[in-house]
Amino acid sequence: MTGLDVIFILLALMTGGAAILTVISRNLVHAALFLATTLAGIGAIFILMRADFVGLVQIVVYVGAITVLFLFGLMLTRAPIGREALDSRSQPMALAVSATLFVVLTTLIVLAFGDVASTEPTGVPITELGTAIFSEWVFPFEVVSMLLLAALVGAVLLARRDSGESGEEADVEIILDALPTPADVEADRREAAAELAHPDNVTASPQASGGGQ
Amino acid sequence: MEALNYAWIVVALPLLAAAVIAVFGKLMPLKGSEVGIAAITGAWVLSLVIGWQTFVNGPVDALEQVFWSSPMGGAFTIEFGQYVDGLTAMMLVLVTTVSMLVQLYSREYMHGEDRFTYFFSMLALFTFSMLVLVIAPNTLQAVVGWELVGLCSYLLIGYYWQDKPNADAANKAFLTTKFADIGLIVGVVVLSAGVAQHSNNVFSIPETIDLAMGGQLSELTVVLGTLMIFLGAMGKSGQMPLHVWLPDAMAGPTPVSALIHAATMVTAGVFFVARLYPVFIQYATVMNVIAVVGVITLFFAGFLALVQDDVKKVLAYSTVSQLGYMMAALGVGGYTAGIFHLFTHGFFKALLFLGSGSLIHAVHSNNMSDMGGMRKYMPVTFVTFVIGSLALAGFPLTAGFFSKDEILVSAQLWGDAGMATGPLVYWLGLAGAMVTTFYMGRTVFLIFFGEHRGAHGAAHDVETVEDVHAEAEAGVLDAEAEAEDAAQAAHDVQGGHHDPHESGWQILTALVALAVFSFPVGMAGGFLWDEVGGSTEQNFETWTATHAIEEAQYPFLPGYHAPGGEEHGEEGASEGEGGEAEDPEAAGSGSIVLASGEDLSGPLAAESGDEEGFSNHVLHGAPEFHLDVFLLALAGFLIAVGGAWAIYGRGRPERDPTLHMGGFTTALVNKYWLDDLGYRFVVVPIRDRLAPAVSWSSNVLIDGVVKSIGGGVKRLANVTYFTVDQKIIDGGVNGAALSAAWWSSKLKRLQSGDVQRYAGAMMAGVIVLVIAFAAAR
Amino acid sequence: MTLIGPLVLASFLFCVGLYGVIARRNSVLVLMSVELMLNAVNINLVAFQSLLHGDDAAVTGQIFALFVIVVAAAEVGIGLAIVFNMFRNRASIDIDDADLMRW
Repeated sequence: MTGLDVIFILLALMTGGAAILTVISRNLVHAALFLATTLAGIGAIFILMRADFVGLVQIVVYVGAITVLFLFGLMLTRAPIGREALDSRSQPMALAVSATLFVVLTTLIVLAFGDVASTEPTGVPITELGTAIFSEWVFPFEVVSMLLLAALVGAVLLARRDSGESGEEADVEIILDALPTPADVEADRREAAAELAHPDNVTASPQASGGGQ
Repeated sequence: MEALNYAWIVVALPLLAAAVIAVFGKLMPLKGSEVGIAAITGAWVLSLVIGWQTFVNGPVDALEQVFWSSPMGGAFTIEFGQYVDGLTAMMLVLVTTVSMLVQLYSREYMHGEDRFTYFFSMLALFTFSMLVLVIAPNTLQAVVGWELVGLCSYLLIGYYWQDKPNADAANKAFLTTKFADIGLIVGVVVLSAGVAQHSNNVFSIPETIDLAMGGQLSELTVVLGTLMIFLGAMGKSGQMPLHVWLPDAMAGPTPVSALIHAATMVTAGVFFVARLYPVFIQYATVMNVIAVVGVITLFFAGFLALVQDDVKKVLAYSTVSQLGYMMAALGVGGYTAGIFHLFTHGFFKALLFLGSGSLIHAVHSNNMSDMGGMRKYMPVTFVTFVIGSLALAGFPLTAGFFSKDEILVSAQLWGDAGMATGPLVYWLGLAGAMVTTFYMGRTVFLIFFGEHRGAHGAAHDVETVEDVHAEAEAGVLDAEAEAEDAAQAAHDVQGGHHDPHESGWQILTALVALAVFSFPVGMAGGFLWDEVGGSTEQNFETWTATHAIEEAQYPFLPGYHAPGGEEHGEEGASEGEGGEAEDPEAAGSGSIVLASGEDLSGPLAAESGDEEGFSNHVLHGAPEFHLDVFLLALAGFLIAVGGAWAIYGRGRPERDPTLHMGGFTTALVNKYWLDDLGYRFVVVPIRDRLAPAVSWSSNVLIDGVVKSIGGGVKRLANVTYFTVDQKIIDGGVNGAALSAAWWSSKLKRLQSGDVQRYAGAMMAGVIVLVIAFAAAR
Repeated sequence: MTLIGPLVLASFLFCVGLYGVIARRNSVLVLMSVELMLNAVNINLVAFQSLLHGDDAAVTGQIFALFVIVVAAAEVGIGLAIVFNMFRNRASIDIDDADLMRW
């Protein structure tokens, strides 16, 4: 139990707690801020593991940019900012699945890496990182830059107001009317049940053809 | 010899084109025709390279390659490969040249037809099939190509299947050739059964030839096998009496007639006989049969062309007659002469057919009685058609002259050797040439000279075969015939509403190219080859000769040296010891018996210097000028042309003498009653005797049994029906359906459209898999 | 510093993210949860680099982490664009409403 471990545990508690708050928070803006906290905690853990560059990128990109992006998203979609039910009907299933997965993963991690000795984190000089990116990894690097460009163009195209028909300011009411209402669905369901309840209609036809022979 | 390795590309390109056209043709700007023409042009260029290489090198060692083989157990192996020698190269050049020009021609001729793309796909497929046959290293592959060719022919004859006569013609062609193909298959099997005792590669053509030349096949095998193969060749190459399908095959579009039913497919039989020629020459019986069938065909088919009014039918019968020439040449030892005629005929007959297509395109009628005076309207067609006709008639210096001359010379030599079929072929061949000249003169004069009869509907100077019928039956032109004429005139007025005009450049290109080819292709094999700068070392004979042919001799003629004779006694002994294991080389060297002992490089010189006056080798050496043959042929030509001019020169005579030869005309009009004979002795007995007998036996005998069984079964069936079927099976089926409906109504709720539920389910599955893998570690 | 700590933290964050992805109705929140999952993977990558394979000179783990960050940024951009489109067309960004593919 070194000092690093203590710091790590504190950071981990903060990060994990913020993560939980992110996914259970009933206020959307709070959730985004908790997410920023979580991401900042992760960045701190990176620095703790002496991956300084990755940690700083994490803070700049995530805490700086992406969180703001999410906040913009929330504002622009006029999301209800306030307390209301944000959980879907799959919530019990989500709890079961993720709890099971956590148990399984933790068990496996302990089984696989439980006996790895505690070591000092080894850092990598940032010059080495840069050299590696622009020599050994230069092709994936270029591909990723193409990916970013494609994402940029794609995002612009998707979000543009006049991009094709879907870009029109839609008359929401008409679309909602066209969609099946819960009452329609219920009617369909009753119809199907009625068919099942009276199977005579189905069996009648083979007998009719049999009589013709 | 590198180009020979790639001969398979010549075969593959048309297949590729056929597939591409069939799949993508309709999407292409020119409806697929560009693919076909591009592919065949590529194949043509490669063929020319191959042809040139084999030509300048004289008799080449055949290149045999097997690309795919499948042992079927025992001695039976199926192989596909290529076998390239001079003969193959010659056929490659012929097929690709004609096919290329015909496809170009069809671009215009078939323009606007329904199924234009299908047509081009079929043309390419046909070219592929013919090339598969040509390139076959074994008889089995040859049979495959042969049947594919027959299939394409069937499909293309029936191209206008909407009209019943055309569909009937296709059926007739298919059934007639199929009857002959039974012979081919039996022959191939018989030969392979003989070969199987000596070799593992039972269908291999070179091995069959080696064994036959070594005398190791029994007489029964060779005679039966070759005669049966010859039956197949008779069907495909339209020898009498199996030629009946060929004139009817003119129901197909004219380019098809040119490509398939004149230039290439019908030569398949001749080609196949030539391919196996060293086997065929082993016994005099076989040769005599071939010669007699050939000479009957060449002589009698020519007359049939005299009374035809349909220009395509004239050419069809002329084709039959020329095929007879080729067969007769093969039957009198004229190997080179036969395939030389095949080669030249391919060009000028394609030319004639394409020319007739150009005419038909212009006047919208096949009948010569609707044409006349066409030289004013279609000068290019006129010139090229006349060139083709001269070549067909054997006018000096044209291709047909040289090849026909060669055939007659071969017949003369055969007669000198004491074979009775020699003079027969010689004199009947001369007479047939006269007939040919006469009917070609008639055709040319009727079509191109005189006044145009089509558009102006001059009903009464049109005298057709139908009129002669009517005259013969009623004595005078009765009302019915009048009505018929009036109808025809009305049709003419409708059809020929404008003056005929010359065809477009694509048709003319094909015509001119073939007309130009009609000269040089004859030079290579003619006696003038020396004079125009050719070498005696390389002429048509050395081109198409293989080593096997060079070594081949007629065992039944004097001067034959048995393989392993006294000069080669030691080799003969070693052959005996080697037994089955001997390789073809040893067998070959055993049969190289040259009278004056020259080595292989000079076999032709050896033959010409044979002390017995006649070489019993197949090859005659470079062609020489025979004054007597030349004069007789020329005299016959002049007489026939003069006769034709006298009768037809000033347009169509009131009474066409060919239609007023009494019983002879009747015989010709009825096609020697061969169709009737076929109908009476094949169709009618089957229909009237065999079929009723079979019907009675099936009605009375078999039906009784069937009825009693049926009664029992019916009772059983009733029981089965009401208990097993209605209760158990129907219940089961309905139950299954109901349960499926019930389950689906429940299970469909799984498809909630809720992606999050899907994600959860997916992760649950992943967890299960992770646990499973971890447990398995 | 033990290796097991960061690994357990990573798996915890991953499972929390998974819970968010499955349980939340708001699409923006779902996207946030996806970010959590991606970051959990990054912790793994860096921890293995730093604590397990520290003696190797290779820097693969960190470079991979950087690539994941880049891809995640792109994903957020596209994802938010899709959410905007959905909002514009249906006036709602609830995933429960996006069920056109149901039976």
